[in-house]
Amino acid sequence: MSTHVSESESEAQAGTDQQTTDRPAAQQRRLEKKRASNDQREQADSSTETDEETVHLKVFRYDPEVKDKQEPRFDDFHVPAKKGMTVLDALIYSRDHYDSSLTFRHSCRQAICGSDALFINGSQRLGCQTQIDELDQPVRVEPLPHQEVVKDLVVDMEHFYDQMDTVEPYFQEEDLPSGLDEQRQDRENREKIKMSTRCIWCGACMSSCNIAAGGNYLGPAAINKAYRFVMDEREGEDLKQQRLETIEEEQGVWRCQTQFSCTNVCPKDIPLTEHIQELKREAVKNNLKFW
Amino acid sequence: MPADRVGWHTVDSSQTTILAGSNPEVHMSQSYDRGLVENFGRWTEFSAGMWAWVFHKFTGWVLIGYLFTHIAVLSTAIEGASMYNGTLQGLEALLIVRFMEVGLLAVAVFHILNGVRLLFVDLGLGLDAQDKSFYASLILTGAIAVASIPTFLGGAF
Amino acid sequence: MAEHYTSFSRDDTRWLLQRVTAVFLVGVLAFHFMLLHFVHHAYEITLAGTTARMSQPGYFITMVSFLIAGTFHGVNGVYNALVNQGIEGTPRTIVKYGLIIVSLLLIAQGIRVAWAMTGGQLI
Ligand code: HEM
Ligand code: HEM
Ligand code: SF4
Ligand code: FES
Repeated sequence: MSTHVSESESEAQAGTDQQTTDRPAAQQRRLEKKRASNDQREQADSSTETDEETVHLKVFRYDPEVKDKQEPRFDDFHVPAKKGMTVLDALIYSRDHYDSSLTFRHSCRQAICGSDALFINGSQRLGCQTQIDELDQPVRVEPLPHQEVVKDLVVDMEHFYDQMDTVEPYFQEEDLPSGLDEQRQDRENREKIKMSTRCIWCGACMSSCNIAAGGNYLGPAAINKAYRFVMDEREGEDLKQQRLETIEEEQGVWRCQTQFSCTNVCPKDIPLTEHIQELKREAVKNNLKFW
Repeated sequence: MPADRVGWHTVDSSQTTILAGSNPEVHMSQSYDRGLVENFGRWTEFSAGMWAWVFHKFTGWVLIGYLFTHIAVLSTAIEGASMYNGTLQGLEALLIVRFMEVGLLAVAVFHILNGVRLLFVDLGLGLDAQDKSFYASLILTGAIAVASIPTFLGGAF
Repeated sequence: MAEHYTSFSRDDTRWLLQRVTAVFLVGVLAFHFMLLHFVHHAYEITLAGTTARMSQPGYFITMVSFLIAGTFHGVNGVYNALVNQGIEGTPRTIVKYGLIIVSLLLIAQGIRVAWAMTGGQLI
């Protein structure tokens, strides 16, 4: 239940000290937002006594095995506010102090494991990455939309993982460049795929996409994975063709309607729509070559 | 997948209030049905890109519908001048048709502007401005439609 | 693998054609509106005027291209939308050929009309 006050402060400092040039726009924006909210927080802290306040959570509850919870409902929790508190912190507090049956996934608390993507105040976010004081209260916490709810905030991720597996999300080149016993990547190429490697498999993007909802669309995360390998020059031409064929399937890139929903929610700021569009063009170019 | 799991629901319920230290209480609530509507039930939360998609779809369908009607009306040309002139001028004399033409112009202008926006998105250009370019399309569409009203309604009264 | 790519029904071909026709349509649709609402007022259209325009080969070709591009673009758009809705199997085959037939009929009728509009005086 630790609220990592000191951590977030040092993070804020790092944010201000770093050079802000040469950074992708989305990341830039996020950093600016972060900085602004840090400033705000500091001001707020000096004027009010935070531990007097409470955070009001409305949490989705459902449990097929408990008679009272077979019909989904919302429970209210009032949690003492702490400086730097995230939605995940508040959920953990609620579970530890009020209702030990409250169920949700989490592990790393630092936006790395991808376990706690939730539907918070109407959009997909990571519980551990979302500061309570950036949200309107009451904070509505629901499981990810468009996935089956197993219990409370836990959804069935099977379909999402299946889609990820479809694109064979691992490096496959066996041949080594002559004279080397390792696969080297040049800086430009690494830079090209950098953002695409950041995916933490949280499923937020898939959940936000109304084309993916209920259908068999490969989905942004899987296509982004494919991008990560298609664009990786260390994999040879044959593999690239194979990968392109997968994403060109009917349920692949062509289903994307460029609504930008996935790009808007991705907690790792991956430019998903941009990657999907680039793969569409890559597919067209690739096929024009054969005419 | 067991049938007793629920899918996505928007639940507005009678709520239990659990104050710090008190025991959880349990209340029942009803859940919404799943179905196609559920996506659009969240329309208030749509972002720019979603609205652009909805409008582009709608305007595209109107245009293709109009094209079929258009060719049907123009087909009177085969019957000769009096039929053609009579039909077209008869239609233009109807005030409702004039208003529908303003609507058609708005629809076409939006589809063109947002279509150009989509073409840029397809080329991977200006992706960071995708929301702004959508708002710009909307505003321009409105402005052009309003500005054309005098021309479109001219002589109708 | 090459033969695989020459097929004309690939999704990427339709995707590309949808954009190519869009680029063309931007120009002609805007032109069409300007011409028939602002240059000539819609309520003043007569067959004589139409014939005068249509009997110019350039205009005739533009309008017929407009017709063909618009029909492809619109009908392909409708088909894509239905595929997105998840239409599959037999209904999908029916819809597909239904749309193809309807498009061909529309284009045929459009050309017939366009021809009649020239009053047989296409130079
Ligand atoms: C209210 C606005 C419109 C008016 C008043 C109008 C009027 C006309 C007229 C009078 C013609 C005959 C050619 C001529 O006189 O030059 C024509 C042809 C044509 N219009 Fe329109 N039009 C309108 C909107 C549209 C739209 C929105 C589309 C596309 C969806 C369209 C597609 C066509 C096509 C394809 C032809 C050629 C027909 C053929 O080849 O037989 N028009 N239009
Ligand atoms: C004037 C220039 C036009 C442009 C730039 C344009 C652009 C586009 C683009 C880029 C799309 C694809 C959207 C996507 O797949 O994500 C589209 C869809 C569509 N367009 Fe157009 N278009 C134009 C004119 C027309 C005309 C004249 C018609 C009707 C005859 C039409 C009917 C449609 C339809 C039905 C769709 C599918 C909508 C859907 O997704 O349900 N468009 N348009
Ligand atoms: S692409 Fe982004 S939103 Fe999608 S699963 Fe990966 S990290 Fe999550
Ligand atoms: S708990 Fe690991 S991503 Fe949030």
